[in-house]
Amino acid sequence: MKLTILFGGASFEHEISIVSAITLKEKLKHFDLSFIFCDQDHSFYLIQAQQMKAITFSKAEHKKMPQLSLVNGAFIEKKMFSKVEHKNTVLNLIHGADGEDGTIAALLDFFSIRYIGPRVNASVFSYDKRYTKWLCEAKEIKSVTYEMLSTHEHKNLSLEYPVIVKPASLGSSIGVSIVKDESELDYALDVAYEYDKSILIEPFIEGVKEYNLAGYMANGKMVYSIVEEPQKEEFLDFEKKYMDFSRSEQVLKADISSQLEAKLRKTFDKVYKNMFEGALIRCDFFVVKGEVLLNEINPIPGSMANYLFEDFAGGIEALASSLPHAKRASVNYDYIHSISSAKGK
Amino acid sequence: MAIKSLQYKQSTFGISYEIVNPEAKVDLIILHGWGSNKNLMKQSFAPYMKGFRHIYIDLPGFGKSTCCKALTTEDITRIVEMFMVLINASKDVIVGHSFGGKVALLLEPKVLVLLSSAGIYINKPLKIKLKIALFKTLKVFGLAKLRSLFVAQDAKTLSEPMYQTFKNVVDENYSDKFAAYQGKALICWGRDDTATPLFAGELIHSLIENSIFEVYYGDHYFFLKNAKDISKKIENTFLSTLGGE
Repeated sequence: MKLTILFGGASFEHEISIVSAITLKEKLKHFDLSFIFCDQDHSFYLIQAQQMKAITFSKAEHKKMPQLSLVNGAFIEKKMFSKVEHKNTVLNLIHGADGEDGTIAALLDFFSIRYIGPRVNASVFSYDKRYTKWLCEAKEIKSVTYEMLSTHEHKNLSLEYPVIVKPASLGSSIGVSIVKDESELDYALDVAYEYDKSILIEPFIEGVKEYNLAGYMANGKMVYSIVEEPQKEEFLDFEKKYMDFSRSEQVLKADISSQLEAKLRKTFDKVYKNMFEGALIRCDFFVVKGEVLLNEINPIPGSMANYLFEDFAGGIEALASSLPHAKRASVNYDYIHSISSAKGK
Repeated sequence: MAIKSLQYKQSTFGISYEIVNPEAKVDLIILHGWGSNKNLMKQSFAPYMKGFRHIYIDLPGFGKSTCCKALTTEDITRIVEMFMVLINASKDVIVGHSFGGKVALLLEPKVLVLLSSAGIYINKPLKIKLKIALFKTLKVFGLAKLRSLFVAQDAKTLSEPMYQTFKNVVDENYSDKFAAYQGKALICWGRDDTATPLFAGELIHSLIENSIFEVYYGDHYFFLKNAKDISKKIENTFLSTLGGE
C-alpha cells in the first residue's frame, strides 16, 4: 500500500512527531512509504526514506531536499522543466498544534487530499481540553470535575488540593504539574502559562486506575486495541513519557474484567462515533469506584499507538480504505442562469 | 520552564524562569551572560547544590523572556528584583556570568558569585577603534547600510531595542560599585578568557574586600567544565557566612 507520512509542524510536539514518523517507518516497512516534513515555518519537504533520522532535522539537512507545494489533489514537486505529483493517501502524524488543532485537516480537505487523521470538527473538540469537557457534557460522557483559569482572569480555586494543572491545549504531559498545596500553585501556573493562555485544573485523584484504549472505524465496524494500563510513577511527565521514545514493543494487556473492558469500549464508541471517523485515536480513561471517566482524547496518538494493536499495518490499510469524504457543494450557477434567462439575456 | 509577566515603566515583560529543588530553603539565583540563556546555566549547575532552591532566569530579551524597549543595566536589575518579589525569592546567593555578574552585583546579595564578570572597562584594541571611526565617517556619507560589516559579533542578530540595550550596557565601568559591595564574594575566572581577561578578575578581587578568587583552566565559559568544583566552593562560601554572627 502507498502511504505518505506527514510529520513535523510548528508545535511544541514537533520533535515527538519526528520520533513518531521514524517509528512508523519501521512498523509499516512493508508499505510503499513516502515522507513529507512540515518545518516550523510551514514549508513542506519531501524526505528520502534513508534520510529519516532525527539528526536530519536537527541539523536542518531537510532544507536541501525538494520543497513541495499544494495543488488540488496532490503535493507537487517542481523540477526545472516538469513537476512530480504526490497523490498518496496522507497519514497526518503531526502532534499538537497544526496537526491536532484542525489546521492540517482543513488544509488537506481544502485541497481534496485523502488523509488518515481527525477532521476539523473532531480536532476542535479534542485539541482544547475545555472543549473536550463540553463534548463530554453534550454526549453524556463522564469526566473529571474541573476549573478554568486564564491569564485574563484571576480567581481563587475552589478545588481541594492536591490538584493537577494542565495547559488547555497541549498533549504529551507538556506543562502539566501536580500541586500538593497552595505554596506550589504559583509556579505550576507559570509553567502552564508558558504554553497556553488557558489552564485547566482538576482534582488529582491519588491511586486512580488509568487505562488507555485506542481504536478506529473501518468498513463500518469499530476496531479496538488491547487496553493498556500505562506505567506511572506519580504520573508521566514529558521526559519520562518520551525519554523511552520509540515505545514500539507490544505492551501487556491490562488485567481487567471483561465487564470493565466492555464499559471502556462503550465510552470509546460514544466519543468516536459521528466525530472521529477517518482517524485512529487513543482515549485515556480514569476508573474511579468502577466508574469510567474520560481523561483525554489523543486524535493522533504518539507513534499511532501501534504497540496496542496486534495487526497495526493491516489496521492502517483498512482505515485508509474507509475514509470519509468531505461533502463539497457543486456550483452550477443555476440561479444566475435562471435570472438571466428570465430577463431574456 | 515557566513564565511570569510583570510591568515595568509602562511595558510588559514576560520573564521565563525555571526552579530546581523547589523545597529547598536557601535561594540561589543564577543569571546568564550577554547573548546566552538560562538553559546553559542550568545544564551546568542543576545537578549540584541540592540544598539550594535554584532559580534560573532568562534576562529580558534573552532566551524565552520578552523585551520591547531599550534598557540599562539598572533597568534590568530592577526587573529581576521585581520578579524576585513575585516569586518570593530572597537574595541569599546570586550567581552571575559575564553581563549577569553586573546585574548580580547591583542586586546586592548576601553572597555574590561572579563567573568571569563584566564591569571592568577594557581598552579597545586599535583595530576596533579604527573600525568605529571608519563607520562613523561612512555614516556621514549616508552609507549606514554597511552596518552589518561593522557591528560587534555579540550584536549582529539583535533587534533594535536590544541593540540599544547592548550599547547602554557595554563598556560600563563598575569599579566603584565593586568597591562598595559589602557582602561576601566568590570570584571565579577562566585563565584564558579573552572576553573578560584575567586581570579584570584580579582587579575585582582587589576591589571587593571580603572576596575569594579562584582561577580555572578554560576561557570565558570555563564554568561549563568546572561546575562541580565551583558548586562546592559556592556551598562553602555560603556556609562560611553562617554562624559566628
